This record gives sequence, structure tokens and C-alpha cells, in this order.
Amino acid sequence: MKKIILSKVKIAVLIVIVLNVFSCSKDDDNINDLGETIFVRHKNADMAAYIHGNASEKVFLIILHGGPGGSGWQYRKNTIKSKIEKNNAVVYFDQRGSGNSQGSYSEADVSVDIMAEDVLALVKVLKAKYGDDSRFFLMGHSWGGTLGPATLLKNQEDFLGWIDVDGAHDPKGSYNEYKIALKKMADEQVALGNNIDYWKAVLDLVKNVGPDYNEDDFYKMNREAYRAEEKLADDKVINKPISDDNGSQYNFFTNTWNANRIQSILVKKGLFQKVSFTNRLHEITIPSLVLWGKYDIGVPTVYAQEAYDNLGSNQKELFIFEKSAHSPMDTEPDLFAEKVIDFINLHK
Amino acid sequence: MKIHTIIFLLVATMHLQAQNQISGASFLDRTEFKIGYYGNIAWDNGLTIGTEYVWKEYINIKERKRGQKIITHQFLFNGNLGYSTNFSTQTDNGLSTYYGLIWRRTNPKGKQYNVELNPLGYYRSFLPETYEVKGDRVSKVSLPGRGYYAPSIAVGIGKLRKGKKRSGWYLNLQLTLRTNYNAGTLPVLSLHYGHRFNFKRKR
Repeated sequence: MKKIILSKVKIAVLIVIVLNVFSCSKDDDNINDLGETIFVRHKNADMAAYIHGNASEKVFLIILHGGPGGSGWQYRKNTIKSKIEKNNAVVYFDQRGSGNSQGSYSEADVSVDIMAEDVLALVKVLKAKYGDDSRFFLMGHSWGGTLGPATLLKNQEDFLGWIDVDGAHDPKGSYNEYKIALKKMADEQVALGNNIDYWKAVLDLVKNVGPDYNEDDFYKMNREAYRAEEKLADDKVINKPISDDNGSQYNFFTNTWNANRIQSILVKKGLFQKVSFTNRLHEITIPSLVLWGKYDIGVPTVYAQEAYDNLGSNQKELFIFEKSAHSPMDTEPDLFAEKVIDFINLHK
Repeated sequence: MKIHTIIFLLVATMHLQAQNQISGASFLDRTEFKIGYYGNIAWDNGLTIGTEYVWKEYINIKERKRGQKIITHQFLFNGNLGYSTNFSTQTDNGLSTYYGLIWRRTNPKGKQYNVELNPLGYYRSFLPETYEVKGDRVSKVSLPGRGYYAPSIAVGIGKLRKGKKRSGWYLNLQLTLRTNYNAGTLPVLSLHYGHRFNFKRKR
């Protein structure tokens, strides 16, 4: 009996060790097909950066995820993985308090300003690791479109281009824009005879929210904006999102707790009441590409034109995806990759 | 270092106190070692080893028609050391250790209920290649990772195998609070399943 137990314990220990060795094995550091995970320690936070793809020309696209509280790895899917990574390296960054990032800090260490400094710290690390001749493009999706301008307004010298994907450069204005966008979309869809009961309920929601910002009403409209996308997809107004994402990178519980925590801190500090970069977009003078879904309500489409009009670059482009809402990388992935790759290759 | 000193002092104090209150049974008779799985199955999985030391034991004997019903209540000092990882990534490796008290009820058939309170806990994460940025200076961090205070509570069931060397098994659900983690306190739920051993026993 003793021998049997001992042998079982030995086998269990051996399995754990072997699996662990494999889990810790060094990733493929072939420069043409990078697959590395590093952490950036800055101001008491350790933030994960997953670096994948072709770095032979030392061109890196840094993706700033949405949220606040999203995660970097969630963007490693579809044509970002299958096409953009073939063209250049892509850096999927877990921002402070998000995804697999960890640290010991106080609420005072959480702000848009510090999170923008984190992005610049990431650039310094990438330069230290891959060489000073490395070149960078910055892409921000949704909340990443708040953090992107915040970063570039601190220092845009290191970046060859800015890609704004349905980015929230004006969180302060989004409460009123939600009301306008939801009403407009509901009126259009009712007129088309699509999901009439649902869209009438949306009109009721908009009628019943307060005239000025309050958190409850904000999140009611925010949730409805994303629910509306499902209805638009059901009616084939937009394409159904595609995802070949492997979500096992994150512990669901930790990731969810992180997301709620970081978002609640930023909201408490006035993200949707005080923060707006509209009046400073003209200071961003690097080449810029503005990509937006025509049916986006999460960050209403009116912001696409506003971003394009206000960006200070003389090399800028606005492109609207006709069959997309908030995430064109999921609904029109091939066209999305084409636009991004063309932009990077033009300005690299 | 501070946390290690506190843990050492507490364990030493507990040990001395326990010895003072034990009568009859030897140290090894009252000590069991345990090894088991801990984690949440889906993402984090690990192995833990530990020891339990019977501090106090109360036996209630109830007279029933079919004979006596003996219920044992024990208070045990508890110490554990474990390592867990997410096998599919390099981002969730960590060593955890915790110390506290277990209350355990054992019925005549050997079925057990456990409640654990572990006020002293420490979690040390291990991260892959990490670079620290201070101003314009970038430096590589040696032994990257972070330490967190991590007290825990657990409830569970188990089975006593009286008089055996493999003296029982346990299945606990544990809630650990990892703090200060990302400007807050991270709750971590984990399952613990393992076997206890008493090497003093013959079989």
C-alpha cells in the first residue's frame, strides 16, 4: 500500500514539474515570428506585454485595449493575428490594473495621466530590448482611444502613426451623445421595420434618462449600445462578429475583478465627467488613420468625423466600415487588416 | 523579510503553546502531514504540502439505543506551502504559504467537517522577463514578481482513516484575499483536495 501511494505521489509531482517546465519554456524568439511575454514595471505596477509577429523590420504596432479594464490578448485574433502579425510585430499590452497586470499601489496611482506614462514606459522597454532603431505605431480601440491621445500628447516623437479605432477621445461628451445616437438608430430601425419592439424600448430608455450625467443612466445606455449591436447583427445590418480568440490567457475571475476595479476607480475620478481630448487633438501631428464602424453606438459615429477634423496631422485618413459597429476588427476583419497594413507600410 | 519574521514568531509561539497543553500523545502522534492539489481547475493549478498539529481535542459521547455515538471536535494548527501556475501561460505563477487554525468535527463513521482560518498568509508571484522603468532608465528586474499579504478562510469535508498511515482525505473550498493587489484586495477562490499522512502509525 505504502509503495502504491508513494509511486502515485511521485507521478503527480513529476507531471506538475514537467507541465511547469513546458509552461515556462522560452518562447520562440525568432525575429520573424516573435512570441514573447514580458512585463513592464512602472510606478508600482507590473504590466504584461505579449509581443507577436514579424519584427524583422523592427516595426511594432502597440495596441491599447478598450474598457477601461479590457485586456491586450483579446485583440490577438482574426486578421490581426493572421495578417497584421505577418506584416509587422504586434504588442498586446495589458494596461495598469487590467488583464494579467498586477502591482501594489493606491487609487492615487490610477489616472489617465499615469496610464499614459505606462505606455511610454512600454516604448522605452521595447527600445531597450529590440534596439533604439525600433519604430512604433500606436492603435487605440474604444477606451484605448482615450489613452492613445493622452499618450501622444505627452510624447509623440517615438511614434510613426496613430490608428484610432472607434476611439473615445471625448468620454465627457459621451453621455449626451449616447442619447442622440441611440434615438437616431432606434428611429432608423423602426422605420425599416427591424426589431420594432426592441427599438421602441430603446426610445423609452432614452426618454427616461436624466438630462445631465449620472452613473446609473450612463451605464444603462452603455449596456444598451452593446445590446443594440446584437440586434443589428440579427437583422443583418452589420456583420456578425467573428472571433478565433483563445481566452485561456486570462483567469476569468481575476480578469473580471481587475476590470471592475480599474473602471470604477477611473469613473469615480471623473472619467465620464471631466476627461476630453477634443480640444487638444490638433496637437497630434503624426500621420493618423481614423477607422470607425458606421453603426457604432458604443462610441457614436459622430466622433469619427470629429476626430478626423480635429487631428493636427496633414497626413490623415478617415475610413468608415459599412457593415460594422463598435469593433470592425471582428465584423470586417479582412478590410480592417488591409487598412491597417496599408497605413503602416505607407508610413513606416 | 518582515512577513517571514512574523510567520516564524507565530509558528514558534503556537508550537510552544501547543506543547504546553498536550498530555500523553507524542509530537508525531499529534502531527499529520498533507499533500494535495489546489487551484481553480480551469486556470490555476498547483500542488500544496502542509502539516497539521492537534492543539486541543474534545470528545462528546452520546448514549443512543444502538450504543455510543462519539463526536470528536479538534482544534489544529495548520501550515501550508504551495506552488500554482497557469499551464498555458507564463503569467500566473506563484508560491503561497499560510498558517492558522482548523476546527474539525469527526463523526463515528469518520466523516469530517473542516473550517480553516488562516490569518497569516503570503503569496509571491513569479513573472517572466521584467523590465523596470524609472525616468529614462530601463533595467532588467532579477527574480521578478511581487509579494502580497494573503489571509484565507476555508470550509470543507473529509474522511478519517483511523489508525492508518494515510490517515484521511480533505476537500476544501478556500477564499484567499490577496492584498494590496492592483489598488485593492483580490478575492481568490480555490479548491483544495489532498490526503493526510501520519508517519508514526504502522499501517
